[in-house]
This record gives sequence, structure tokens and C-alpha cells, in this order.
Amino acid sequence: MTMAGAKAKLEAPNGVDEMAEKHPNRGPQDIGGRKAGPVDVVDHGMKFWERQANALRSTLSGKGIVKRDELRRAAEDLRDYSKLQYFEITTSALRTLMIEKGYMTEQELKAKMDEVRARFDVPDEMESPLKQKAAQP
Amino acid sequence: MSAAGGETGSAQSRPSTYTPAPGHRYEVGDAVRVKRRYPPGHRRTPHYIRGKVGTVERICGAFPNPEELAYGFDGEPKKVLYRVRFVQKEVWPRYRGPARDLIEMEIFEHWLEPAGDTGGRT
Amino acid sequence: MTDSRIDYYAAKKHAHDHGDHGDHDHSHDDHAPVAGEDEGPPSEFAIMSRAMQEILEAKGVITAEQVTRRMEQFEEDFPYRGSRVVARAWTDPEFRKRLLDDGKAACTEMGVDLEADRLIAVENTPEVHNMIVCTLCSCYPRALLGMPPTWYKSRSYRSRVVFEPRAVLKEFGTELPDNVTVRVHDSNADMRYVVIPMRPQGTEGWSEDRLADILTRDTLVGVTVPRVRT
Repeated sequence: MTMAGAKAKLEAPNGVDEMAEKHPNRGPQDIGGRKAGPVDVVDHGMKFWERQANALRSTLSGKGIVKRDELRRAAEDLRDYSKLQYFEITTSALRTLMIEKGYMTEQELKAKMDEVRARFDVPDEMESPLKQKAAQP
Repeated sequence: MSAAGGETGSAQSRPSTYTPAPGHRYEVGDAVRVKRRYPPGHRRTPHYIRGKVGTVERICGAFPNPEELAYGFDGEPKKVLYRVRFVQKEVWPRYRGPARDLIEMEIFEHWLEPAGDTGGRT
Repeated sequence: MTDSRIDYYAAKKHAHDHGDHGDHDHSHDDHAPVAGEDEGPPSEFAIMSRAMQEILEAKGVITAEQVTRRMEQFEEDFPYRGSRVVARAWTDPEFRKRLLDDGKAACTEMGVDLEADRLIAVENTPEVHNMIVCTLCSCYPRALLGMPPTWYKSRSYRSRVVFEPRAVLKEFGTELPDNVTVRVHDSNADMRYVVIPMRPQGTEGWSEDRLADILTRDTLVGVTVPRVRT
């Protein structure tokens, strides 16, 4: 599908006013009325990490460390909003606020992520897939 | 249904959905238009409802402005929040359901103007 | 698959599964959530979330127990409240009136603490069917219903319910005649919503518990209506 074709798919089919529809200040979250496919009516539940991420968000929110409205704003400002899943958005927004509010620096977070990632032997994106394969018993 | 107002002080010691809204501009039943403005930043007024005319269904109360809270400010002074009822066919020109179908949402007072006004274009 | 080393995720998940009772009878039309399995290596976002949590714990901003406790509340407490509250409204007309008048106050009466949620209950009648959505994010009365289902958070639901509610209802197996008004609520600010469905025939004399059983989550969001099963 071409870029133009992909964009055309997002136009509302309902004849809404063009200015509202295409305004440059319309955020990626403001999707009421946008064309979309059928709803997947099955509830796929939450993975463990998502439940924990949600609880982390809720704990911080309950303590007033992050406000609900700040989380929403940080989410809406994510460059990749439209490509991310719900808890990926929540987590990314929380990251923005934690750094913004000085609870951690980008460097600290990166270092801790490297440490966490190492526990699972998850190869980083720099490591060649061929090398990983060769390392397997 | 308008449940805001009532006694001050004691009303808030008991949990309630609603808060007082002293000095509110619109009453239940008033015809209001959502301002047809498109400022940047965090807004809780969906684009699809801007410029549309509806009726005040209830007064929810006064709440800190989310547009300010979003950026770390305290959102004071509070803004009055209304539930506004719209007719679907008036929101979506090609709405396919029956004419009776409705859509309702919460709109802050500063996003509303009386429906009689011609309304600005910005 | 995670390997045999001490694995934070596997250990936590093990402990969690053993605490999980799952004794709530999800009705057929609720599409009981597929058990969320953490398969394979954690995603970058899982790692990010875990890392943030550990940094905050190390700095004394939060404790692991606080987060765990919150997880438990979302799993074991919140999801069961809505059915009980609405079942009470079905059996007690005065309570129903109070619930419609002020959702938060009525829940408080029943010992249900909605925390920050400001609840508005909307009632289905033979003339009106209510349906809830949040187009801008996924606002939902979490302290009354637990976490929203994946479909509620999906782009398709969020974008389409507001302009073609009947088509979306049909995808959930719900069809309404044209002489019934479909009333969509977009939860875009401070209020949260719950639907009081119509009580079906054949439930006369039922206990609140039995009524709560057919007041599934899906009926309280308004995508389906309660069904009496034999």
C-alpha cells in the first residue's frame, strides 16, 4: 500500500468537516470517527508484565508522583504513538515523565535496562543472529 | 440531571460524583456550541465534536483544568464541566443509524459558547 | 521460553498463578480473557517497565509490595464490584434511584470505594440502549470493573463506536431495532460510566448473587445484554 493509500484509509467516511478532520493540531490519540476495521471482540487479557506495568503506573499515580493528565499528554506526544500497543504507550509515557521529573536520567534507565536484559540473555540488537545461533548448544 | 451545587462544605465530606459549580454559565437544557478552535497541546475535546451544537444534559461540577494539569500546573482555577448531548445525525452528516440516536460527552465551559452565537473561525 | 536460571518473570508468574483462583464464572458472551502468558524473552517495554520499577524501588519512591498489592487489587477485587452494585440496583428500586442520582455516593453506601473514579450510571430501557467508549485513550471505571478488555482499548472500538455504534454492536452479537435509541457516551473527561442493563425475563425471585452472575462486564459497558442461561 502506498503512503497516500495508507493515509486515505484513515479518512473518516462520514463527511465530517475537513478542518477538524485533517487539522495539523489533531493528535494521534484523537481518533473518534476515523475509519477502522472490525473490532476483535475477544478479550486477550493482560500479560504478567502488563499487569505489573499497570500496577506501577497506578502506584505512582496514587502517590501523586504522576498525574493522569500528565500521562495522557506524554502518551499523546510520543512520536510512535500510532505504532505502539496500549501498555507500550503507558510505559513509554511513564518513561518520559520519570525523566522529565528527575526521578531518573536516560543514562540510568538505559544502564538498568541493560542489566535487566542481561538476566534473560536477550541479545541486543547489535548482536548478529548468526552469532547467537552459533552460541547455542 | 443536574446534581452539582447543593450545600457547600458538607457536600464534599461525603464522596460524590459531582462537585459544586458556583457561577456556572449554562443550565441544563441550554443549547450550546462546541468552539470550533484547534489549539495545539493536550485537550479533552475531541476533534469530531468541535463546532457541533448540543444541549446541556447535566452539570458535573468544577474540576481542575486538565489542559494545565497535563503540563504540571495545578489546574486552578477550576473549570465547570458539563455533559452535553448531541444528535448523531448532526455530528456525522452521513450517520447511518436512526435519527433518534445520540452521543454524549463531557465538555468544559471554556470550550462552549451559546448556540445562538455565530461563533468565531480561527 | 525462559530457561532454567533464576528468572524474575518466571518466579513472579509462578507465585501469581498459584494465587490465582479464577473462580468467577465468566459468561459465554464475555469471552473470558485468554490467560496472559509471558512467552519468550521479554519485550523492550517489559524490560523498560521492570527497569523503571527497580530504579524507583532502589530510590525508596515505591516498594515492591505496593506494586504487588495494587496488582492484586486489580485482579482480585475491582473486577467483581460492578456486577454486585448493579445487581443491587435490580433488586432495590430505591438504591437504583440513588445509583442513578449519584453513582459514587451509592457505591460508597455499599462499601465500594471508587478511589478517584466519578461514576455516572446510565440505565437501559425498552427505548434506550447505552454504550460506553473513550475515544481519546481508554478511560474506564477501573475501580468498579477492573481493567478494560483489549477490545475496549483497540483503535477500532475507539474510533468506530462514536459514528457507527450499531455496526460495532452487531460485531458483539447485539442487534437493536431502529425504534430503540442508541446513546453513546464518550468518557472524555472526569466522569466514568457504567450501564444498568434491563433485567431480563425469567429472573424473578433470583438472589443478588445469581443476578450478579449474568451482569457480566460486557453488559456493563453496553456491548451485550444480559442473558438467562438454562
